[in-house]
Amino acid sequence: MIRIAAVGDIHLGLDSAGVLRPAFETIRDSADVLLLAGDLTRHGTAGEARVVAQEVAGLGVPVVAVLGNHDYHSDQQAEVTAVLGEAGVTVLEGQGTVLDIGGVRVGVAGTKGFGGGFAGRSGGDFGEPEMKEFIRYTRRCAEGLRRSLDELKARGCSVRIALTHFAPVPDTLAGEPPEIFPFLGSYLLAEAMDESGADLAVHGHAHLGTEHGMTSGGVRVRNVAQPVIDRAFAVYHLAVHAAVGTAADSVPVAAE
Amino acid sequence: MNDTSAAEYRIAHLREHLASGDYAEMGVRIELRGSSVLIAGTVSSAGCRDEILRMAKEELAGLPLREDLIVVSATAPDHPEELA
Repeated sequence: MIRIAAVGDIHLGLDSAGVLRPAFETIRDSADVLLLAGDLTRHGTAGEARVVAQEVAGLGVPVVAVLGNHDYHSDQQAEVTAVLGEAGVTVLEGQGTVLDIGGVRVGVAGTKGFGGGFAGRSGGDFGEPEMKEFIRYTRRCAEGLRRSLDELKARGCSVRIALTHFAPVPDTLAGEPPEIFPFLGSYLLAEAMDESGADLAVHGHAHLGTEHGMTSGGVRVRNVAQPVIDRAFAVYHLAVHAAVGTAADSVPVAAE
Repeated sequence: MNDTSAAEYRIAHLREHLASGDYAEMGVRIELRGSSVLIAGTVSSAGCRDEILRMAKEELAGLPLREDLIVVSATAPDHPEELA
């Protein structure tokens, strides 16, 4: 059994130091890994990222993150990524990472993702350049996620987790105004998960949404936006069914 | 322009100002409910809640406000979810 702690949308600012640290310091007692589902900062500055870094540094468990739209707002996403990386956080964008948790290979594939909407109610790759690029960007994110999940499978991961900021399904948006669903996620993310396979999908972004959902292919989805879970983090116990991925060649926290 | 449409535009502008403000707050519900405005949701801190209410009172002056903002819990969970 793998214990996964996760939270998104913590929106830390320069005045937030220490707010989450007391809870995070208990994580090693309740979880094997901490996933951060984006919107870690308010405005996406390197200064705010340093606050985040201080909150999650040295927790005694691997920390894997994707960025969110807020983390891009100041066009400092590279600096934000670097600051988090210096604190030991593995920040994924169209990439995967393999963790060795008690001899079990656990893969996390991550992308921020983007919007576009859900099947039957989505934007298309058509018309103005801005509209086409909107959808093409989402498609690139989804393709990166699919490729990463495929690679994790090829590397023998017996547990694979898809980590995004934007939502893959509308289920976990329940509570948000339906009119803004296309800005909250895309079915392309769920399609990638269903086609490659995943044991759990974790996202944030939708503060007014709900925690529980599922893709049409049966992947459990959890919206871990902090306003939704109303805790410092949620913990999920994930059973390990497959016999593969327990080989002795597992590598400890192979960040990529 | 009638009073309702004017109120809707003022609410839309308030939302824009909240998003571009110190807290970059985009996650609360601000809606016309009859003749009053509902402001509801879960925010990251007491400071964020205070700032939202300050800006709302300033920008929506003259409209009755009904507020139901909650500050998110920063405590660790007391139980996991078991995923079989």
